[in-house]
Formats: sequence, structure tokens, C-alpha cells
Amino acid sequence: MTDRITAAAAGQAGEGFLSLKGLTKRYGGFAAVDNLDLEVPKGELVAFLGPSGCGKTTSLRMIAGLVPATSGRIVVGGQDLTEVPTHRRDMGLVFQSYALFPHMSVARNVAFGLEMRKVGKDEIARRVKEAIALVHLSGKEEHRPGQLSGGQQQRVALARALVVRPSILLLDEPLSNLDAKLRDEMRNEIRDIQKRLGITAIFVTHDQVEALTMCDKVVVMNQGRLEQVGTPVDLYETPRTAFVAGFVGRSNRLKATARDGVAEFAGESFAAQAGLSGPVEIMVRPHRVALSAAGADVTAGDHRVSGIVARTIFAGDILQYDVDVAGQIVSVELATRGGETVLQPGAAVSLSWRRQDVFVYGAAA
Amino acid sequence: MDERPVSLALKLMALTMFVFLLAPLIVVVPISFSGDSYMMFPPSSWSLKWYPAIFTDGKMTSAFWTSLLLAFVVTVLSLLIGLPAAYALVRLKPRGAEAMSALFTAPLLLPTIVLGLAILIVFSRYGLLATFQGLVAAHLVVTLPYAIRVLATALATLPIPIEEAAATLGASPFTVFRRITLPMMKSGLIGTTALCFLVSFDEVVLSLFMTGPRISTLPVAMYHHVEQQADPLVASLSVLLVILTLLVVLVVDRTSGLAKTFVK
Ligand SMILES: Nc1ncnc2c1ncn2[C@@H]1O[C@H](COP(=O)(O)OP(=O)(O)O)[C@@H](O)[C@H]1O
Ligand SMILES: [Mg+2]
Repeated sequence: MTDRITAAAAGQAGEGFLSLKGLTKRYGGFAAVDNLDLEVPKGELVAFLGPSGCGKTTSLRMIAGLVPATSGRIVVGGQDLTEVPTHRRDMGLVFQSYALFPHMSVARNVAFGLEMRKVGKDEIARRVKEAIALVHLSGKEEHRPGQLSGGQQQRVALARALVVRPSILLLDEPLSNLDAKLRDEMRNEIRDIQKRLGITAIFVTHDQVEALTMCDKVVVMNQGRLEQVGTPVDLYETPRTAFVAGFVGRSNRLKATARDGVAEFAGESFAAQAGLSGPVEIMVRPHRVALSAAGADVTAGDHRVSGIVARTIFAGDILQYDVDVAGQIVSVELATRGGETVLQPGAAVSLSWRRQDVFVYGAAA
Repeated sequence: MDERPVSLALKLMALTMFVFLLAPLIVVVPISFSGDSYMMFPPSSWSLKWYPAIFTDGKMTSAFWTSLLLAFVVTVLSLLIGLPAAYALVRLKPRGAEAMSALFTAPLLLPTIVLGLAILIVFSRYGLLATFQGLVAAHLVVTLPYAIRVLATALATLPIPIEEAAATLGASPFTVFRRITLPMMKSGLIGTTALCFLVSFDEVVLSLFMTGPRISTLPVAMYHHVEQQADPLVASLSVLLVILTLLVVLVVDRTSGLAKTFVK
């Protein structure tokens, strides 16, 4: 199974195996998904990341054909699937609720897709066995879904979707119903299997850690719209909108006012978009801020502000200071190395950071 | 299930209900073993003669076969009509689905005697009285509401993602229905079958309007038998029917769980 799928993947390598073109879904006047454009290369694992209700599931269901698109196209491997019914789309979907067939054994569940494809009996038996082994459920073939734990049901759902070698694997928050430990385990497992089979996959999640750690690319969605597409590094290092900056990783978001492309905060000037005036948000990540006691040697950095420690949080590996700077709180995270003096609330400090670590966004007034 | 303390008053009430419900049996079972030639309680002598007598009574045996065939045909038709109707109401949700649902269950709210009278008036015009087709149509009026109700409930409680999962795996809508929807409705289907069968087999009021010298159902034949000669034969027959009903209920309970089927 592994060899065949990898070979198929190699044969069709290239950009844009799955293309979404202006994909839109309206319910009445409300746009659940608004003009989504996306290219997913063959063999990539792409995350749809966004808060609850932003249209992730609706997008996935449109790709699978379970919800008709209001407008836009869905193209897979050069073939327009927009009008093709679900059962002819050849996609594997893993539901948030697993949606296993309760009246069939694990083996029958996994065999279902192969039976639909009229695969021969011997081959079905062989492939079902392989798929069940792939998700570490050998020995559970004859169990009913109701006799399995949540994590095991999740694996059956995965095996059932993978065994047919779908052109695209769609996963809708597959880990959200699992406990934390199992979630970590399944995260690695799904990633390994996806890589091993070279399968193109979309992974829907509202958990930024899942998206960043598992996926080749992350699509950040907000209110039905695509905010930014990029690698985890892109999104983290250069968030293009205030929403992405706030949703991916931790960040300080400071309110300020810009005039002619320059924002002012605590006596410092920050370069904003050329000509931008009005309220803005200045974003800087807590662990990109350097901190020194006031009056100590100058810390390297392009921007410097001074403030008073309002709160000290010692979390073992990380020492966090919430510093009051001109009436707003700037959080600073320092990795502990041992032996540092922990400043107490009330201490005067100066903060500094590099120009490339600051982003200024126009704030919605 | 949690064992909750049951108050004495509740226990007494339950006991009273059981006695009340089973009282007819306490009278009927002894009479069925009577040696007398008319119904009397308690019997003055005992015998088993009324059981074999049932099978030599031509009217009773022909009425039994009529009732059995009738219940069978009515049940099959109820399923064949009720299943698509329930599917349309629950899944396709046409406009006015709720009003239609209410309309389909309306016959259950009418007194059967009113229904019987209405059916009598309409059927007499088409020569359907005292015919098998007429009986089938009349019984469907009461079994269909049950069938649609139970099947619609069974459908409405099925998780749709399971059917969607089958579709993504390559199953056409019809295959999804046959391989996924129907098997998952098993308990609803068994419940509907049992309910329609028993309702039809047991139906007296409508059948009284619809039967005649040419055709009779078992309950009607028993009714006339008691009117004409009050021998203990009907008591023996009643005991057999109680056993038959119990068997049906037991089969339903074993295959799908009675509570699961009827209590939603
Ligand atoms: N069938 C529907 N009818 C009306 N609104 C819907 C329907 N399905 C989804 N929505 C709305 O579309 C938006 C996006 O939903 P969804 O795609 O499920 O979000 P997500 O998966 O990102 O949490 C939500 O506001 C939801 O209420
Ligand atoms: Mg969702």
C-alpha cells in the first residue's frame, strides 16, 4: 500500500493539485465561506486554522461535495469536481464525530470503501489488514465501534478513509474529542502516516499548536475569509494581519496612533505602512523583547521603551514579566538559565527589541 | 441503571395497576379449561376439550387465516408506504412537513367508531364492503399513522454524518440507504412490523363495519360467536392469542429491545 501510493504521488508532483477558485458558501445573506482561493500542492499537509464558526468545516464539506458551493470552483488534478456528487469525488473524510458504521465490525467499516470500488475479495482482505495494522489496531478487526475507546475509533475512521487511497484526505478537527496525551500521540501518528503515504491532506483545526507543528502550510481563516496562507514559519515571523498575529503564537498588541506612516508609542517611533494615519496596533512577541534593569548597560535593539514591572510570573523554564509601559502592559518572556535575579513588581526596567520583530497594523476604528 | 428507593405508595399503585390489567386473564384462563358447555366462573368441571374445538370450528379457522393474511398484507403495505413517507418528511423536509406529519397521525386521534362510519359510507359506494381489499384499506388508515410515526422517529435519530461518511467512501445515495440507513433503523423497522401486525390482527371496530357473511376477521368472528352461543371456546382462543402476542413481543424484545423500539 505504502509503495504504491508513494509512487503515485511522485508521478503527479507539482503545484496546485487541489485548487479552490473563489469558493463561496452563502446561507441567506450570510457568507459562511467568502471567496476562498487556494492552491494545495500534491503531498502536502495543509491546515485550515481559525476560530470556531469561521467556515472551516463548511469549506471542507464543499470540497467533499457534502455542501453545494454557492459559487466558485473545486479542481483536483486538473479535473473540475464542482458539480460531481460526493460518491464520485474519491476523497477521504475523517469526521469530528468519527461517524463509524455502528452496525459493522472494524474490518467491515474499513472494507466498505473498497467494496464500493468493486475491489476483489482477496485484495480487500489484504488491504484491510494492512490499513488496520497501519493504525495499530491489529487484533480488533471483529470489534464493533461501540466497543472501542475514542482514540481507537479515531484510528478506525482514519484507516477507513486511507484504505481507498483517496486523492485527498480531509480531516475535520480529528483530535478535538481526544484527551491531551492521546492527542499528542495521534498528532505524530497522523503526520507520519501522511508523510509515508505522500497523501495530499487538509487538516481542519482551531488549535494553532496543531496547525504549526503538524502541517506544511497553514491557511488562517477568519469570518469566512482567508487571512493568510504560509508555512508555519511565515505565519509566525511575518503575520500579515493583526488577526493572524493575535491568533498564531503569543503577542503583545499595543494601541497607538499613526500619523503619515509613523506610529508613536511611549516616545518611540515605529514605521507603519506608508501614509497610514489613525489608530494602529503595534505587535511584538513577548520572547522577542529584551529586558534590562533601568540604568543598566544599554541593551542592543532598535526600539527602546521604559516601564515598571507590574507582575512577575516564574514558570520554571520561562520567566514572564508584565511591564507597564505608558499605561499599557507589555509582556516579556525570558528563558531561564539559572542564577538570574528575579525582579519584583515595582522595579523600573527598560525594554528593547529589533525593528524586524515589530509589526504595525491599522486597527479597525 | 440507578436503583432509586421506590416509595411504598408507588409500589402499591403499580401492584393495583397490574392486578387491574391482568384481571381479565384471571377469569379467562380458568374458563378456557372449563368442562361446562357455557361460560361460567368458576367452572363447575374441568376439561381440555375447548382447545381442539377451536380447530374444528370452520368459521373460526377461516376467520383466523383471513386475519393472519390481512395482518401480513397490511404490515407489508404499511412498511412500503410508511418508509418512503417518513424519509420524505424527515430527510427531504418539504414545505409543510410538520403539518403533513400532524395530518398523517390525525386518524389516531379520531374515535375509531367515527372512522368506521366514514369508511363505511365511502366504501359502500365503491363496493368495497366485505371485501379483502376493503379490509386492507380500512386497516391501513390506523396502521399507517403508527408506521410513519415510529419510522420517522427512527430516521430522525440517525446521525447524518454516518450516511455522509458512506457517501464519501463511494456509496451512491441508494446504496447508502440500503447498506447504512436501513440497517441502522433495524429496531424501528422491527417495532413498526410488530405494531402494525398486532394492531391489524386485533382490530375490531373498523372490521365490524367492513365484514359481512362473505368475509370475517378473527376478532369479529369471536364477537359474533359470543353473541350467539356463550360456550368457553372463545376463552380458549383468547388464551392462544395472548400467547401469540407474547411471542411477538418476546421476539421484538430479543432482537432489538422493547424499550428501545417503543419508548423514545
Ligand atoms: N446549514 C447551515 N445553515 C446556516 N448557517 C450555517 C450552516 N452551516 C454552517 N453555518 C454557519 O456558517 C458558519 C461557519 O460554520 P462552520 O464552517 O461550521 O465553522 P467552523 O467549522 O470553522 O467552526 C457559522 O457561522 C455557522 O453558523
Ligand atoms: Mg467545524
